[in-house]
Amino acid sequence: MDLDWTIIVRNWPVLLSGFVNTLKLAVLAIGASFVLGVVAGALRLSRSPYLHYPAVLYIEIIRGVPLIMVIFWFYFLAPILAGRPLDNFTSALIAFIVFEAAYLAEIVRAGIQSVPLGQVQAAISTGLTHRQAMGHVILPQAIRNMIPALVTRFIVLFMDTSLAYIIGYRELTRVARIIAEREFRAFEVYTFIAIVYFVCTYAMSLVAQRLERRLGPA
Amino acid sequence: MLLAGFLGLQYDFRWSVLWESPFGYWLLQGVKNTIILSLLAWVIALVLGIALGILRTAPWRVPRAVATAYVEFFRNTPLLVQLFFWYFAVPQILPAGPIRDAVNSLNVDTPLLTLNYEFLAALAGLGVYTSARVGETIRAGIQSIPRQQTEAALSSGLSLVQVYRHVLIPVGLRIVIPPMATEFLSIFKNSSLAVTIGFAEITFQTQQVNSYTFKGLEAVTAATLIYLAISLTIAAFMSRMERQYAIPGLIARGATRE
Amino acid sequence: MKKSLGVLLALLFVTTAVAPALAETVLEKINRTGTLTAGTRTASIPFAFINEKNEWIGFSIDFLEAVQARLEKKLGKPIKLDKKEVTPATRIPLVANRTIDVECGSTTYTRGRDETVDFSINFFFTGSQLLVKKGSGVKSLADVAGKRVGAAQGTTNEKAVRAQQPRADLVTFQDHAAGFLALEQGKIVAYVTDGILLAGLAAKTKNPKDYEVVGDLFTKDPYSCIVPENDSKWRDFVNHTLMELIDNGKYFEMYDMWFGEKGVVQYPMSAQVRNFMIMQSMPE
Repeated sequence: MDLDWTIIVRNWPVLLSGFVNTLKLAVLAIGASFVLGVVAGALRLSRSPYLHYPAVLYIEIIRGVPLIMVIFWFYFLAPILAGRPLDNFTSALIAFIVFEAAYLAEIVRAGIQSVPLGQVQAAISTGLTHRQAMGHVILPQAIRNMIPALVTRFIVLFMDTSLAYIIGYRELTRVARIIAEREFRAFEVYTFIAIVYFVCTYAMSLVAQRLERRLGPA
Repeated sequence: MLLAGFLGLQYDFRWSVLWESPFGYWLLQGVKNTIILSLLAWVIALVLGIALGILRTAPWRVPRAVATAYVEFFRNTPLLVQLFFWYFAVPQILPAGPIRDAVNSLNVDTPLLTLNYEFLAALAGLGVYTSARVGETIRAGIQSIPRQQTEAALSSGLSLVQVYRHVLIPVGLRIVIPPMATEFLSIFKNSSLAVTIGFAEITFQTQQVNSYTFKGLEAVTAATLIYLAISLTIAAFMSRMERQYAIPGLIARGATRE
Repeated sequence: MKKSLGVLLALLFVTTAVAPALAETVLEKINRTGTLTAGTRTASIPFAFINEKNEWIGFSIDFLEAVQARLEKKLGKPIKLDKKEVTPATRIPLVANRTIDVECGSTTYTRGRDETVDFSINFFFTGSQLLVKKGSGVKSLADVAGKRVGAAQGTTNEKAVRAQQPRADLVTFQDHAAGFLALEQGKIVAYVTDGILLAGLAAKTKNPKDYEVVGDLFTKDPYSCIVPENDSKWRDFVNHTLMELIDNGKYFEMYDMWFGEKGVVQYPMSAQVRNFMIMQSMPE
């Protein structure tokens, strides 16, 4: 078994750039999809059929297809809908945001629904409007409940950035593949990036645990 | 059909490519391969996952640590990287010789599908990845069974093995039906990643149809509808199972899908 | 269940019906954005590839830079060349939907493809061959019946293998580098693509002597750049750039740099091809 780990060192700059691209995509996607997810989750809970049904349609369709499909859809369709060409980073970003938001919407919905009904009633009976009740009583508790599921989902999103490679975005996995294929050394490179991903996701889950402990049980 | 919409693209929809031979046949092949891969991978994931769930709740430290390491590692690395690892990296470290050659050039035609390394690597990758997640789910299920049940069973003379066999596993499995349904659905969706190592599942075939006909959007639409049909079927099937087998009062948290 | 699917289809068609039309031509778009978005490859040696120094270079990339220079002269402002990686499977859709303005790599001009996109005049000629490990015993397409053969998905080579040797077990890869790795690992007995690309793949590896390109050319592969459909001004521009390069000899210099004695792959230009290229250049 002759392994050559020096290729990692030799290709360090390009590996680093791949990692930076991964972070770029992940951070932006996490932020934007969270916002969209909250909106979609709230719409799904809405009692107005004009808000509720489109939200349900969006969530159920996206959750029923693989991420690869959504990426392909946006890759080919988005430039047409936007009326102008989009680069692969933007297409990938939009695809990720749309995809992850559907899952986050469900987490948000479950989180809001996990707040006992008595709280809502109590809040309204003390004179708060529905919106104030949502903002001051329900959402804070809901968010605390959601944190484990949210972080799990964010971790999945971080790992899913590896799929952006399909449309040529030079994130870590794509860079690894280019190196592996040029140097014929797949084992070293893929082991290395597996460790990188693992360290990052592990760090994310540690942060989440600390966050959960700080905010206290709901 | 409404073709006029694609003004800037001059895109002529030609839905007939979907059933013209050989394109329709290719898509069907893709569906067949997806289903076979997903089902077999699910079997592997289930078997390994139950074993992991047991190991992680058992009272012995070393197996528990090993199982935990396994779960943490395979859950927290991307499936894509794992697939590449199985397909490209594993053959590299096999000792040079007949085994490695056999693995690499495997090509057996069976009535169901062609057995080649693309399939085996996809199966291994998908199975191992999902087994880590299933193992985690089953562990949560077993641990949510009230302690008293285990203690009662043990004190009534059952050995630990028997407690697992007759109490913890059956009850645990029934508790976690909802998250397991999600995992089962995930396997189908994740099978689409096997396109990157050359396995001819649905996504692969849509690209194939696209490269021959350039009617990519029709093919992608068809593939999307197929995936939707599969997910909705599984969802319906699983909610029927949940209704039949659920134990009232012990539904796992997150009974809403994921 | 069925209702959701029905609504989905309805939504799809509504969206397509209201999609805004892309009325801008490519030259207008380049003028407006100051960027030439070009698709090219990362493993088509020596047309467009990434070398050990991680530089993205190649014969086709040199041509793209010539187009960029001529654009700067014509539009009177600096133009940025934005290179985007494409694969055989994505290059045509991306040009067709105008995500990229032009693709110059190693794309074969075929009539079938011409229905979805347009092509420039030719800048290279080759054909399909097989790359095998020395001593494999494979000398032509006939020898791979019943054996595993690799090709890139979406290429003319893949279709040719299917058509001319249906008894081969075809394994498809996303790009040439993946196929070459599979050949190196013994997953396939032969990798099929254009002869010049095979020579390039072998030349850049650590042990070029271990590989050989075999077989007669079993397809005709003239290379052109891809441009969006129905944009004559842009196609003319790309064509005239190439014609200028032929007239002032730069084309032959570029060719010599990549395919000559000091080139990456030795592939001397035949007299027939030289004449053809000169004849392709129309008078002003």
